[in-house]
Amino acid sequence: MTTTASTSVRGPSSSSSGDERPRARLRARLRTTPTRLWLLTLAAVVAVGGLAVSAGSTLDRARDGMEVLGHDAGPQAMATTELYLALADMDAQTADVLLMGTDHELGSGREAAEERYAESRARANEALLQAASLTEGDTVEEVNVQAVLDGIGEYERSVGEALLLNDEAGAPPGEVDEDALERYREGSRLMHTDLMPKAFNLGLDSSAIVRANHEDGRDAVALGLVLVGGSGVLAVGVLAGFQLYLRGRFRRRFSAPLIAATAATAVLTVGVVVALNGSGGDQSRAKEEGLDAAMALSRAAAVATDMQADQSRFLLDPEHADHHRQVYLERAQAVLFRPASDLDEYYGQVAEVAESYPDLPGSGERDDGEEDTDPGTLGYLGEVAREALLPAERETLGEVLTAYDALQDADRDMRALDEDGDRSAAIDARMDIAHHEDGAFTGYTDALDRLIDLHGAQFEAGIEGGERSLSVWAWLLPAGTVLVLVLIAAGVRPRLAEYR
Amino acid sequence: MRNRHRTTTPLLAAAAAGVLALAACSGPGEEPSVLEGDTITIGVKFDQPGLGLAENGGFSGFDVDVAHYLAEGMGFEREDVELVGVTSAEREDKIIGGEVDMVVATYSITPERKTEVTFGGPYYVAKQDILVRADEAGIDTVRDLEGHDVCQGEGSNSASRITDGLGIGATVADAPSYSSCIEWLSDERVDAVSTDDLILAGFLAEDPSAYRFVNNPFTDEKYGVGLPHGDVEACEAVNKAINGMYQDGTAGELLEGWFGSTDLELVKSVPQFEGCG
Repeated sequence: MTTTASTSVRGPSSSSSGDERPRARLRARLRTTPTRLWLLTLAAVVAVGGLAVSAGSTLDRARDGMEVLGHDAGPQAMATTELYLALADMDAQTADVLLMGTDHELGSGREAAEERYAESRARANEALLQAASLTEGDTVEEVNVQAVLDGIGEYERSVGEALLLNDEAGAPPGEVDEDALERYREGSRLMHTDLMPKAFNLGLDSSAIVRANHEDGRDAVALGLVLVGGSGVLAVGVLAGFQLYLRGRFRRRFSAPLIAATAATAVLTVGVVVALNGSGGDQSRAKEEGLDAAMALSRAAAVATDMQADQSRFLLDPEHADHHRQVYLERAQAVLFRPASDLDEYYGQVAEVAESYPDLPGSGERDDGEEDTDPGTLGYLGEVAREALLPAERETLGEVLTAYDALQDADRDMRALDEDGDRSAAIDARMDIAHHEDGAFTGYTDALDRLIDLHGAQFEAGIEGGERSLSVWAWLLPAGTVLVLVLIAAGVRPRLAEYR
Repeated sequence: MRNRHRTTTPLLAAAAAGVLALAACSGPGEEPSVLEGDTITIGVKFDQPGLGLAENGGFSGFDVDVAHYLAEGMGFEREDVELVGVTSAEREDKIIGGEVDMVVATYSITPERKTEVTFGGPYYVAKQDILVRADEAGIDTVRDLEGHDVCQGEGSNSASRITDGLGIGATVADAPSYSSCIEWLSDERVDAVSTDDLILAGFLAEDPSAYRFVNNPFTDEKYGVGLPHGDVEACEAVNKAINGMYQDGTAGELLEGWFGSTDLELVKSVPQFEGCG
């Protein structure tokens, strides 16, 4: 190894042609060992640099996606979903106060209902602010946010007048003053045909925004993963080639620093790929099993709030009682669907679901071999019940279904009293269902809130887990890259020194 | 030494393949959305006056105009939209079989159908109502149908909702179609026809002085836009377009244009969507 490499001995070609001379000289210089060493070093540094850049940008993309889902669009979408609940509750409290008439002590009392109304009104405002921020730049939805804001004002004027007229008329429970009823119908109609649909659509739209963000991010990270994998394989290949060159050229068995650099590059590549895959899985779980489920359940709470208020509307507006009874069934079917053509059939179906859970009726084969025409257990609760649930979630969903069945039982009793002509007992029964402490509806929403919290916790755990597996790489990637570069230098330097 | 070199190469290759496979496995692999097509085929009714009616070699009606508006909002040029007639019974099969990309044909959203079809919208919420002859004096509410003959189209359960659901003692007559029901009503073979108010309004608009609504709506029929199951992207685009259709006043104009001559109370604000998930 003391002589200069054989390639450098061969002199430049003695060709006389003027323009061929520099090219030939360059070719000759490239054949010298020091030049090749420098070129291989450069190739290795570029390959490792490529790996670092692709890994860094993909990790950034994954962190951004996690940030948006976990702390920005995700929570905002959840807040927007609550707008619908707040509006439904405002109209529910109004209906209850009207139904109470002069008896302010029915159920949990008029004062409590008025407090709840004010709370829901404040919650609606808060949710509208969130919706406005989430839909910023989307003109169609911005118009809807504004329309709901304006509409709430109009609603409040209508029902404010209704309550005033009813108080002035001194209407006893269940005998709403005719003019008051007319004003309430206007307000409730505005709420149901205009405000609540727009609010519901805003909630859906924020889910769509979250979904689009999530999928774009996932696609970008998937592409980034291929780049990271590819550049990692390339870097390892270049380093291994370098090692082979040194072995052939310098007759050394191996260069320890270069082997370490190769191994470190491989570890970096695999580590980043595993972290990105892991955080991607965490993020998908946070979205699907956490956020999506929590939003579906929050819609189940909102529709049920509107549904139980149909009991009050059924009692306070006898002229439209058939309609309010039918709409009650339709909303109930949205919450938990079983095939039933009328309420009586529905009560039985709900009891069956509550009893057989975690098995769901209608999801199995029929014994008699006939084609199964039963569509199964559907609606918000049915869909959630079909998902993979953690044991605690399954148990709580069982409680929700039991509470929902109890609510339907109470509904049956209330309607039976009304059919028997005992209106005042029916009104008492209705106000007991809505009692803020121990009513059947409160039992249902309490159980549902517990389940929503469990899914919320799953959402947060998924985001935290994903962020944790990514955060290590914020320093590990630069540190690892520097280490690899130092090792390459350590491997090349002694060889280059031989040519000084 | 050479041998060792030989064994490391396949190992390295295997490791590389492993990393690449792990990297690539998180890529998406779903069916392409209806939105990705160069053209769009939309199923509409061909026998429903005011909604979807085949005439003069084309289709006309509220649903047809809505279909064109939505297709434009989804990014399709007018000449890339093909309309085909579908019957009520074949709507699911044609979507599932891929014969049509989208259905706008008085297609009520139900939990059962949602297991097979993804619904955009609803673009309108019709209500079940009752149509009687204009000179019919005795029927003012649904309860007055007691003892009368009520017609429903074959395969429908509209009238059964009155008899079974509300427990009213009316006789149900099944006609081959709602057109026949209207003929029977005019011939006094039946006293009332019950189905979605928008369908009834379509018949009424053809002869506004002959019939009237009882105006006692009691169910919601959510007219949805049927799409292949799971096509969330197209569903969200449809919802966006429906939102636009109500905001720019097109929906109100179309409803007035097709049904304004009747006394039907038209809702001109955007309906509550079903959700695409």
